[in-house]
Amino acid sequence: MVDTTPATAVQHADPAATPRLHDVELTINGQTHHLSIEPNVVLLDALRERLGLTGAKKGCDHGQCGACTVLVDGRSMNSCLMLASMADGCDITTVEGLAKPDGTLHPVQQAFLEHDAYQCGYCTAGQMMSATAILNDPSIERTDASIKDAMSGNICRCGAYKNIHDAIKTADARLNGGE
Amino acid sequence: MSTATGTPKPRIDGALKLTGQADYTADISLEGQLYGYPVGSTIARGELTGLELETALAMPGVVDIYHAGNFDPSLRHSPNSFAEENTVSEPRLPFEDSTIHYHGQYIALVVADTLEHARAAAGEVIPWYSNDRPAVIDSLSALPTDDTGLPGVLQEGDSNSRGDAAAAFDDAEVTHDAFYSIATETHSAMELHASTAVWAGDRLTVYESTQGVVFQKNALAEIFSMPSEKVNVISHFIGSGFGGKLFMWPHAVMTAVAARRLGKPVKTVVPRQLVFTSAGSRPASLQRIRIGARKDGTLTSIRHDANNETAFVGMHDDTVITATPSMYACDNVAVTNRVAEVNHGMPCPMRAPGEAPGLFALETAMDELAWQLDIDPLELRRRNFTDKDPASDLPWSSNYLKECWDNAAERFGWENRTAEIGSMREGDEVIGYGMATQSWEAMRQHCSARATFLADGGMQIACGTQDIGTGTYTIVAQTASELTGIPIDDIDVRLGDAALPSGPLSGGSFATATVLPAVKAAIEAAVRKLAERVNGDGQAFEGASADDITLKDRSLVQGDRKVAVTALLDELELGQISDVASTAPGDEQDRFSFRSFGAVFVEVRWDPGISRLRVARIVSTIDIGRAINPMTARNQVEGGLVMGLGMAMFEQTEFDHNGYLYNSNLADYIVPVHADIPPIEVELLDHPDYHLNVFGARGVGEIGLTGIAAAISNAVYHATGKRIRDLPITPERLLAD
Repeated sequence: MVDTTPATAVQHADPAATPRLHDVELTINGQTHHLSIEPNVVLLDALRERLGLTGAKKGCDHGQCGACTVLVDGRSMNSCLMLASMADGCDITTVEGLAKPDGTLHPVQQAFLEHDAYQCGYCTAGQMMSATAILNDPSIERTDASIKDAMSGNICRCGAYKNIHDAIKTADARLNGGE
Repeated sequence: MSTATGTPKPRIDGALKLTGQADYTADISLEGQLYGYPVGSTIARGELTGLELETALAMPGVVDIYHAGNFDPSLRHSPNSFAEENTVSEPRLPFEDSTIHYHGQYIALVVADTLEHARAAAGEVIPWYSNDRPAVIDSLSALPTDDTGLPGVLQEGDSNSRGDAAAAFDDAEVTHDAFYSIATETHSAMELHASTAVWAGDRLTVYESTQGVVFQKNALAEIFSMPSEKVNVISHFIGSGFGGKLFMWPHAVMTAVAARRLGKPVKTVVPRQLVFTSAGSRPASLQRIRIGARKDGTLTSIRHDANNETAFVGMHDDTVITATPSMYACDNVAVTNRVAEVNHGMPCPMRAPGEAPGLFALETAMDELAWQLDIDPLELRRRNFTDKDPASDLPWSSNYLKECWDNAAERFGWENRTAEIGSMREGDEVIGYGMATQSWEAMRQHCSARATFLADGGMQIACGTQDIGTGTYTIVAQTASELTGIPIDDIDVRLGDAALPSGPLSGGSFATATVLPAVKAAIEAAVRKLAERVNGDGQAFEGASADDITLKDRSLVQGDRKVAVTALLDELELGQISDVASTAPGDEQDRFSFRSFGAVFVEVRWDPGISRLRVARIVSTIDIGRAINPMTARNQVEGGLVMGLGMAMFEQTEFDHNGYLYNSNLADYIVPVHADIPPIEVELLDHPDYHLNVFGARGVGEIGLTGIAAAISNAVYHATGKRIRDLPITPERLLAD
């Protein structure tokens, strides 16, 4: 008879055991934060529940709606799909860091205000962070279709898409001298 | 920029929303708060026979777990009455018993010190079930039908008839008879349902994402057997609701119980999967439309019979037939609705309840009749325009539907339509044109508001209603600015707090017509109060009757006397003068019928090679009376059209044969995204309806979502020759012969 017992039994995690804490350094909107957190803390939850930065929103927790979008080292990321410990040492920008310290709105924010590019405002931070990343990305063509494709990870259930699109084009003109 | 009503004005809460400072419910953290995480049933019908909790209870940070075995037996049911303003979405209390009625029904609430700990422990709660009967997942296949061919229990209160629709149908020169179905949809508001409860002694404060702080306060007071003044509900910003947050759901009750038991604030954010199963839907509906007409297109009979699904845990009548008796001139009309129980979570109103599903059926049927008669679909509607409401026999308060049809048709270029199916092409694409009439009833409720003139020249307006993204904060400020002359930036609007004077639900498109008259009355009451204090001997308005003292440009005025309100407050050594006033609809409701109308035209493009269908263009003209803020109002209509595009093309919750909702996420339940959005051109007519209120506003939240699905399906027929009467219009349905 063949012994099928593995030489080393697989160690299943004991759910009742307290996980080891990780020390994480996050630079958020230019300010350094130190967290000592369990490894399953998601970046979005770290921002919202531990650092009081509630501008990034939770709409799905699965990377399907885009409401949690932040910039990580300049790239737009769904912060609900990233563990906080993965962002250790990263430079993060949230919607709270978009305006100038004196309160002057970023051109994307200003364009959203002028175009009424929101209704309830819940997806808005994510829409603006994605728009900001897109307008910083020369590889994305400035056609209506390309902008719409690039923005399609950000759901607006209120359906303010037309105004969001118009706001992005206005912001593009102001930031990049586009049409 | 002008701030007067009727002119565009950027939102006064815009900066808060754009900088991440607006405090939505889940953004609020209270000292010492714990986190609740709900556990939902994984079966749709049966008994919960046991819960294994040992592992979960031993996990790090877990404080307690609530369930049917240890819940609060002192809770009462809410009377669940709209008239008493304590309606709840699901009348059943959480954990009331161990019977499972739908997938996702809450079976436990884990409470822990952190979100991560609560979530992890929720995953270790192990339920045991017995289920000896199959779930009812579809009312049509499971239940017998009556002579209309529809299942369910007839709702007598929905029936409405005039003339003899059956006889007129039988005698008609031309008839049309077809069934129309719409899949279950979900509101899918971007903000998850959330509730934070905190007790201070015997007082309960709940932060909730709700469209009705007053309703929820009243319902909580009933359930916890408390005086309503000891309960408060706060909802400053709402990540929209679309009807899904009109009335309280069980998560709020279990969160409040947990907070009371533990003596600490508890915050529960409902995960998206459970929002799909357990926090409302537009129920699936099945409708039969029978129309009789003369060969010239004159309607002689409309029979509209319908069914909507509801849940075993409560009754929701979606009244999909409600608009039909008012839409067209026709002497013989009969409508009925039925409701059938299935093992789904509770449905509830979803944006344009009744009208959105009902007008899909009616306006598609009208298109089918037009084809049968070889009459232009727009012309068929024109021939049946009704210049009074035939349902009530009352005159319309105001009706510019003909102008809507003409305006939208001209802007769309309807005259370029060639009638033959598939006759309009560009490259590989076949172009289809379709249109429909849009409509929503205009309502008004009672409302109270408080107006306060402050000594620094500013003003505060307070009302226990909400701004769910519609722009209520801004239009209240515009109104107060217009009435007082105070700059809009100096007007502080407070909403979303049940401790404020009682305001209406943010629903039914009635908030604007309801709230603004109360704002006006409150300002007038505060002015009167001030006037009565400054017309005594030796005072600024000595000898004047308070009746003759009015407010103009931040000053009280009488004859040639004019004194700034701030100067009067200084003179009286008062920090403020404030009053509350209440308003309600009056006898105009007996004299007129109030209903908004619009017209929507759609171009679709169909690539028959790969059966790809896209909506290419939408043009809509809407008459909502006066738009207080045309900028936010137009946004509302555009948003309604987008949601209607989703209804027509994408949206359906999908259940397996056990009643398990398997597309309970935003990747598999498809909603429109940026790439789906065609050019949308909305025009709002400006014909103030002063019969409904002095501001002439009839409300705007729902009407954009009506008619659009029919216009799309009608355009699809024009392009493809395929008449799709079942929503959504999926590729599979387009490919079927």
